[in-house]
Amino acid sequence: MIEEAGIPTVVVSTGRDLSAQVRPPRTVFVNFPMGNPFGKPFDKVQQRKILLDALHALESVKSGGEIIDLPYEWGEQFAMNLGSGYRAKTA
Amino acid sequence: MEPIAYAARLNEFYRSQGFPAYQWTINESAPLTPLKKPLAGCRVAMLTSGGVSRKNAPCFNPQARNDLRLDAVDKETSAQFFAINDDYYNHRDADRDINCIFPIERLRELQSEGVIGEVGPHHYSGFMGRIYTRNAVVSEAAPALARRLRDESIDAFVLVPA
Repeated sequence: MIEEAGIPTVVVSTGRDLSAQVRPPRTVFVNFPMGNPFGKPFDKVQQRKILLDALHALESVKSGGEIIDLPYEWGEQFAMNLGSGYRAKTA
Repeated sequence: MEPIAYAARLNEFYRSQGFPAYQWTINESAPLTPLKKPLAGCRVAMLTSGGVSRKNAPCFNPQARNDLRLDAVDKETSAQFFAINDDYYNHRDADRDINCIFPIERLRELQSEGVIGEVGPHHYSGFMGRIYTRNAVVSEAAPALARRLRDESIDAFVLVPA
């Protein structure tokens, strides 16, 4: 809607499959936990890199719906952790 | 590691709870509006849907459904002046450093360095509450946000879902 109003947008996503379904105009995918799309607390270098990658996607993406897979690795396995809202219903 | 298959996992969860199947939004195509000028001349703003409120505003309801609240966040807001209320993702790290989900300090630095032209007058926080009323978003909330962004002469908008 915003894109159609003439304002270029980019989504920073931690859910690759969800973004592939919704197809925002431009997506940068970061394979990090959902609460950490820009990385770890106080890791300014990593946060800056991901923000820059998102901004550069505004310039580089040439067709709507493209997903750019960023190369960063979280460093350890992580599971789907959607928070207490889901756990409460499971209990 | 392979990306987590969130949709499949959630489908399974809904089924196990006896809920009706979730109707995912599946779009076959996407519009694209090119950037009209180099980044260094652009006014940039951001959106978070992570239940992020300023400490002088009411908290978001962490269990909200269909909450279309959208706050304007002054661009100069201190990184320490936020509270996060959302029970549907783990925001322990972002509680300590909001830049994990909403990198307002990093964006200000990119303005100082001239990488972007400037930060817009406001960022936005909202649309956090498990919104099942997508028509209301498409017909009202999103166009209203687009009008605000146009009024504020935003050239580029970064969206960070959570």
